[in-house]
Amino acid sequence: MPATEYPGSFLGRISIRRNQVIAMDGNHEQELEDLELFQKHVSDRFTELLSPPDDAPVEAPLSIPWLRKLLDVFLCCEAEFKAILLMGRDPSQISKPPLDRLIPELLDRAVKALDVCNAVTNGVDSVRHCQRLAEIAVSALNQKPIGDGQARRARKALNSLMSAMNLDEKEGGSTKTTERSWSFGRRGGNKDRAPGQFRPLSWQVATNWSAAKQIQAMTTNLVAPRGGEASGLASPVYIMSVVMVFVMWALVAAIPCQERSGLATHFPVPKQLSWAHSMIGLQEKIGDEWKKKEKKGMAGLLEEMQKMEKLGQSLIEFTDSFQFPGETEKLEEAAAQVAELAETCRRMEEGLVPLQMQIREVFHRIVRSRTEFLDVLDQGGKSSAPLV
Amino acid sequence: MDEHQSAIPTYEGDLHVVAAAHHIVKALGATKNLSHDLRKILIDLDTHLSMITSNIDSKGGRGFFDVEERLKQAERKIVSWESDPVMIWDSGPRKASEYLEAVDEIQTLIDGLRGLSVNENRKQKELLHHAAGVLQMAMSRLEEELVHILVQHRQQFKPKQMSSHSNRKDVVYDESFVSVEDEPAEETSGRNCSSDDSSEYIVDLVHADAIPDIKSIAKVMFTSDYGQEFCEAFIGVQKEALEQYFATLEVGKLTIEDVLKMEWTSMSSEMNKWTWSMKIIFRVYLASEKWLCDLVLGDFGSVNPFCFLEISKSIILCLLNFGEAIAMGPHQPEKLLRLLDMYETLADLLLDIDTLFSEEVGSFVRIAFHELLERLGDSAAAAFKAFGIAISSNRSLYPLPGGGVHPLNKYVMNYIRMFPEYCDTLNLLLKDQDAGAANPVTEPEYGQNVSLSTSCPIACHLRSITSSLESNLQKKSKLYKNEALQHIFLMNNVHYVVQKVKGSELRLFFGDEWIRKHNAKFQQYATNYERATWSSVVSLLKDDNPGSSSMSKSTFKERCKGFSVAFEEVYKSQTSWCIPDPQLREDLRISTSLKVVHAYRTFLGRNPAHIDDKCVKHTAEDVEKLLLDLFEGSPRSLRSSRRW
Repeated sequence: MPATEYPGSFLGRISIRRNQVIAMDGNHEQELEDLELFQKHVSDRFTELLSPPDDAPVEAPLSIPWLRKLLDVFLCCEAEFKAILLMGRDPSQISKPPLDRLIPELLDRAVKALDVCNAVTNGVDSVRHCQRLAEIAVSALNQKPIGDGQARRARKALNSLMSAMNLDEKEGGSTKTTERSWSFGRRGGNKDRAPGQFRPLSWQVATNWSAAKQIQAMTTNLVAPRGGEASGLASPVYIMSVVMVFVMWALVAAIPCQERSGLATHFPVPKQLSWAHSMIGLQEKIGDEWKKKEKKGMAGLLEEMQKMEKLGQSLIEFTDSFQFPGETEKLEEAAAQVAELAETCRRMEEGLVPLQMQIREVFHRIVRSRTEFLDVLDQGGKSSAPLV
Repeated sequence: MDEHQSAIPTYEGDLHVVAAAHHIVKALGATKNLSHDLRKILIDLDTHLSMITSNIDSKGGRGFFDVEERLKQAERKIVSWESDPVMIWDSGPRKASEYLEAVDEIQTLIDGLRGLSVNENRKQKELLHHAAGVLQMAMSRLEEELVHILVQHRQQFKPKQMSSHSNRKDVVYDESFVSVEDEPAEETSGRNCSSDDSSEYIVDLVHADAIPDIKSIAKVMFTSDYGQEFCEAFIGVQKEALEQYFATLEVGKLTIEDVLKMEWTSMSSEMNKWTWSMKIIFRVYLASEKWLCDLVLGDFGSVNPFCFLEISKSIILCLLNFGEAIAMGPHQPEKLLRLLDMYETLADLLLDIDTLFSEEVGSFVRIAFHELLERLGDSAAAAFKAFGIAISSNRSLYPLPGGGVHPLNKYVMNYIRMFPEYCDTLNLLLKDQDAGAANPVTEPEYGQNVSLSTSCPIACHLRSITSSLESNLQKKSKLYKNEALQHIFLMNNVHYVVQKVKGSELRLFFGDEWIRKHNAKFQQYATNYERATWSSVVSLLKDDNPGSSSMSKSTFKERCKGFSVAFEEVYKSQTSWCIPDPQLREDLRISTSLKVVHAYRTFLGRNPAHIDDKCVKHTAEDVEKLLLDLFEGSPRSLRSSRRW
């Protein structure tokens, strides 16, 4: 669990210190130090995501291992954030302005993030479906020698794969129905795949739900604290919110999701905030990529999916023109691509289930933290009520 | 394949033997009514013999003539369907089995040809390649046929037929805690535990007639190494069927955000839908789906649980998420019964879920639902606690006009009347919670014979609830300025509590001792009322001088007048008071009548000389009659009607 790597000792320090100083007025300095440390950790973690240190394995941004790192970063930041805000603190501090407004806003964002998690979980399932189709193609093209039959078999699987990838999001698209012909029967001898008539319900989070709008809604009221607030607890709440929005945004950009048009629109993170530099760098990188690909209609920026799409396309070309026994040069080229596709499938096989588990973990973490914050707000509300 | 090699004969005599054997096998193969397995053995044998023959004179490749001929024959059958717009399985069982035989033949030829692959033989390779191409064509076709069969033979069953609806007709308690003003319907219709009839209910999701066809397609596709294609097609169709079925259950696709923002009435109905959807989906639909998967895929190992999971996953996640969203939400007291329903339903289904997803691939489903159960349990306990707090903290600004049964009391008593039905669950969930935590109560002494039902956790919690209800009602009674009305209010309300306890299973948890004590309590309030209202009135009629025979006329007149004024005052106010229970009202009138009319009659009887219409405004009979107007909740006045 990387969550323990960074802040293990940090958490301990906070709680001990806070216990010592909580009663005194001089805890403001300690608090400032905690906040600075938090900012530094956030900044460091995102810097590592943007440009990993030399000794770490380089993961392509938005690849499965990279997303898993991103989720680890989220879990770490979240744990640290909660420690700063809740550990050893009098509940009444949380229920004072401006936190009495900022925390509920954060929790509102958290609830929205939960729905994003669910949408992305469904999305990972459609990635897995693509993976299985690619595996069919791989096993067909791994036959030596490749015959016309195996080439056709691979082409069929790859065509299904392409239509599963290029689903029309606005249709609430299905990765499944697009490859089906049965609803149109075999009449007219048209063997081309026609889109199915039925809309799968399960793929949807809810009717009219839009991942892009959800992300946008999460940025409502998201304003960097100014003046005196900037040095207080409003600052970590803001940082955590930005981290949360960013992580959800990146997940939605990477993994097939319901309705994502206009996702590239950035949420404003003021550039002068030093902790956000790397995050802004990542955001620009991903945003540019998104704009490039958005028009084409695609399954998402997930590195492995993009690779699969590219390899799939060129293998379709190969199978289209293939005639037994095939030209040696082309066969060799195809063999290399098949090997690469097989490797991509292997990475998916290895990473998708853990990724899905991790999304679930993030989901439950958010749920738990929300409950904890609500409890504290509730206590704070009660204890401060007689004073008002 | 060395065997084949060594078996290849080198001289002509052997060739004849092989030819003869081949002939016999062919003749046998032509026999009708052969079992499938036997036919397969013969075909295999046939192929082997062909191979032997062809290998003997294979130098020029002409020896594959027989194999080639058979391949062409099978291919013709397969290709002929390619241009046919009709589905094979729609064209009758003979066509279908012919097709399958052709595929079998190709598979057999391929196996045979592969068996010989040690020799670098161009012809053999060519044939193999050709056969694989035909096989692919057939597999693609079979995939379509499979999808067609699954869709054509899909069985519709309506959710209503499953009668898995809960029998609880407690919709009336769906009102939110704060909104209760009206008397909830008094209809008693608890749930009938034994009527939970959705146990093990397997239905045919696909018509039974089609199962052998599906199985034979599965067999041939898996044997030909096209198992993945079979699974994708099977998963796709079955998943869609489940989703369509799920749509008929009208379970809304809700985001967590939606659920958290939902109005209580819609939420309550969604919670109800969830409970019975869970039952139908797991106990009926998924049990049937599992059965189908076992039938079709049972022979193919881990493919079976994998396909089953893929088919059911999205719907399961949907149900799971609603549960999570509910468990997250604030736990208002009105949610308690619905939460208990959800908890009990899930607790009841866990075993089914564990069985359906017993394999490793489904472990996350099992774990997720076990965790959800825990969360729902915590939520129910939290709602229970909130219920107690809501009762003790319920505040009124104004007294309830007439002193009748307070809506809070009605709500609480009608609500807790449902608790005994959840007795086991509540006992489990409340085991570790201190009954007196929210509102310390001194437990009444129950003597030696404490029966189990009065000492279980839920019994303690129930008594704690009514006790905080009583103290809240005490507080509410102080809102009345009139002391007598305070007593009427408390009498009414305690009486109501006792009636509700006596008239339901609650009595088992409260016990006879409690009932006796509370009977005495409301009777005491009745006595207090009489004292507060009538003592001063009756005292006007008392003889100050018991010795003297009668009082002076002026004293009499004055007393008479005083009595009328006081009586009219009482009449005016107390006709607007209210005792909703007819028996209680009757009892109180009788006892009042006994006291007042008796005193009045005695008073009049002692002073017969002074009686005239002027000073005796009401006769004893009048008073007796007028007393019947009290506590009806409709204000009347004696003086106003006379004055004008």
